[in-house]
Amino acid sequence: MADQSPAETKMAELLVEALNLEDVSAAEIDPEAPLFGDGLGLDSIDALEIALAISQEYDVQMQAEEEHTREAFSTLRSLSQFVEESQKA
Amino acid sequence: MTATESHALVCRQLELPLCHISRPLAALSKIQGTVSTAEFLSHVEAVAQHLPEGDHAINLCGNRYLFMVSMCAVILRRQTNLLPPNKNPATQASLSERYPNTYVVHDGTEVAEGLSAINLDLLPTNTFQRKAFKSEVPRIPLDHLAAISFTSGSTGQSKPNNKNWRCLTEGVRINKQYMLSSALDQGQVVTTVPGQHMWGLETTIMQAMMSNICISDTSPLYPKDIQTLLLQLSSPRVLVSTPVHLRAMVMSGLSFPQVERVLCATAPLDVESAQKVEACFHGELIEVYGCSEVGSMAYRRTALEQDWHMFEGINLTQEGEVTIASADHVPELVEMQDLITLCSDRCFQLNGRQSDMIEIAGKRGSLKELNEILQKVEGLEDGVVFLPEQKRKVPRLVALVVMQEGEDKNIVAAHFRKHLDNAFVPRPIIQVKALPREENGKLPQKNVAEFYAAIME
Repeated sequence: MADQSPAETKMAELLVEALNLEDVSAAEIDPEAPLFGDGLGLDSIDALEIALAISQEYDVQMQAEEEHTREAFSTLRSLSQFVEESQKA
Repeated sequence: MTATESHALVCRQLELPLCHISRPLAALSKIQGTVSTAEFLSHVEAVAQHLPEGDHAINLCGNRYLFMVSMCAVILRRQTNLLPPNKNPATQASLSERYPNTYVVHDGTEVAEGLSAINLDLLPTNTFQRKAFKSEVPRIPLDHLAAISFTSGSTGQSKPNNKNWRCLTEGVRINKQYMLSSALDQGQVVTTVPGQHMWGLETTIMQAMMSNICISDTSPLYPKDIQTLLLQLSSPRVLVSTPVHLRAMVMSGLSFPQVERVLCATAPLDVESAQKVEACFHGELIEVYGCSEVGSMAYRRTALEQDWHMFEGINLTQEGEVTIASADHVPELVEMQDLITLCSDRCFQLNGRQSDMIEIAGKRGSLKELNEILQKVEGLEDGVVFLPEQKRKVPRLVALVVMQEGEDKNIVAAHFRKHLDNAFVPRPIIQVKALPREENGKLPQKNVAEFYAAIME
């Protein structure tokens, strides 16, 4: 498993909290593993919950109409990078 | 055939806009903007000519306009739409085994191996062009089986609900009186619910065909997308959604343009949330109660009242705790899965569910069936699936599992994912040494709840 950066660890903690993933600890989430499908097995309701948590924590609104949102949700790493870049913009 | 034995395919003014097209699909490139009723009918006719021979079409179109066109084209060919709860190839395969002569109609989805399919997005682009409809609006026999919607249950085999043309058209005629006022007759409708789901089918697809509203071809998920779409539409606006989506919108902190009417169904909403929704959209929230078998049955203005008002033509009778629903346009009697208290004046109150039934994100399942699925995991020694009390607005099931020597709980998650809709996959799945069974082997709910609370501390 790849190492988490500090920003990724913070995002992982937000995911665990927002999604009630009591059987997965933040440190266990591989930053390069898929979040949906066979990875953590998340679904669209989870995506909505994550988007909500991100808007409250980082003041960033997810938008599926913007193409990179889909990519952003692929891994912990891409999600963390997406939020960081959106904050700068 | 006399007029009373049939009903028009659409019942609305031909020149009015029916759908707002904004998705960048190749098939829709020539009709971006709005499409009128007349243009829609010409598209239905064109698509009907491309459909293969067959009896059933699994309709997986994700774009709401392509879904509506293909659904009508299938009906025009006197075939039946199959509307599954998800797009999984395994679901498609199982439907094609249950229903002979089945093909798939879609707009870019993975199709189960061996099934014939038509991708509307790959049709010649002149299929969808601005061409007015010159013939008469087609009429469909009332007894034609237009669609079978499948209740997203917790078992692999989802329950079929037959919808003939009478049931669909009569249902929408009744619904309209309660869901849309005359001021909303030409409302612009945004929805977060897919057309395949009964709530989306009745309230967006059928309603659009039988009134003068204009729907959007997208199903936005995130609050920001919903805000963007609403801002593109003119007033009066209507939003068709669910408690999960509405809560995300309210909590996003975004400001939305006025939405005169918000319609919400699939799970009960509390008074406080309803008041927040009304404040957020500066409009009225009407909550609708129903079930897949009957469709929409009752409404309430949740911000102001607790009691549900039954729709015209819907009847409820009770035997003990069991409530039976009937309606003239629905061929069968339906046993409701909720505990209902009848009040006077065609009103009732909901008092929770029969204890076996659970509801997650608008999908209903049986705990008994979920536990039967758990017991089939090879390598499991003992286990239980239950729905604990939790603060989350979208509840999730929890599984406690005891694994055989050397087995890991990960196989449980994989097993569930293979057999169940994602919403029912327990999370967390907690591996324990033993379940809190009584000496006689029984596992009372109370023991499980206390045991789980102790683990979570």
